[in-house]
Amino acid sequence: MESKTFPGTLDSLDLIRQHVKELSQQAGLDKKSTYNLMLAADEIATNIILYGYEQAGQTGSIDVLSEIADNQLKVVFEDEAKPFDPTARDLPTEDDFNKPLEERTIGGMGIFLTINGVDKFSYEYANNRNRNIFIMNVDHVHP
Amino acid sequence: MSFSISSDVDAQKVATITLAGELDSLSSREFQSAIEHVAAENPKELVLRVEDLSFMSSAGLRVLIFSKQKMGTNLPIFMVKPQSAIVDTLEKTGLQHSVNIVDEYPA
Repeated sequence: MESKTFPGTLDSLDLIRQHVKELSQQAGLDKKSTYNLMLAADEIATNIILYGYEQAGQTGSIDVLSEIADNQLKVVFEDEAKPFDPTARDLPTEDDFNKPLEERTIGGMGIFLTINGVDKFSYEYANNRNRNIFIMNVDHVHP
Repeated sequence: MSFSISSDVDAQKVATITLAGELDSLSSREFQSAIEHVAAENPKELVLRVEDLSFMSSAGLRVLIFSKQKMGTNLPIFMVKPQSAIVDTLEKTGLQHSVNIVDEYPA
């Protein structure tokens, strides 16, 4: 897999999005899928940076691994923050989204958009590293 | 892509914030400051000019929720010409019910 390393700071978000955009274009994703993957990548990278590193008083980096094969773009974020499984948290439900703005809780939207925007999102912890895995199918046809 | 923001409140107490570029967790801090700044003038309407805003993460959504919570439920929020990907995000998260998406302001 190809690999690129970014410092685990908010300044990197822009660069990570650009990198993911380039990968999406290489893979031939359409505009909408490209945006959705950039959004998912931004949300997960933000969580790693703000909660994995900053809030824990830790510095570190995010390795972005990628592979285009079998009509799929696979992107993996690896970090050395403490284990955090984004798929384990409660996601907002339809009910939450129908509540008036002032009554809404504001957590979970990023993970919701991540899971909602990619074809497959998964998480694993291996060799003391968090691995957030995004998969996009290339032969996507959006109506 | 860079982010830029400007804001003002006119004599009719209409607060206008113009956002361009990409709104993420870093740039949303500037958006939040702008909201706090205009909130101090007790605006009667909030107009967000977002035609040139090409990206908005959940950090931007949180500032929208914050602005409603800060300036009151009854404050109408107009979003002028959001790009389709941003409308998509608003719709997925139900926020399109809380903002008025318009092609121009004033109508």
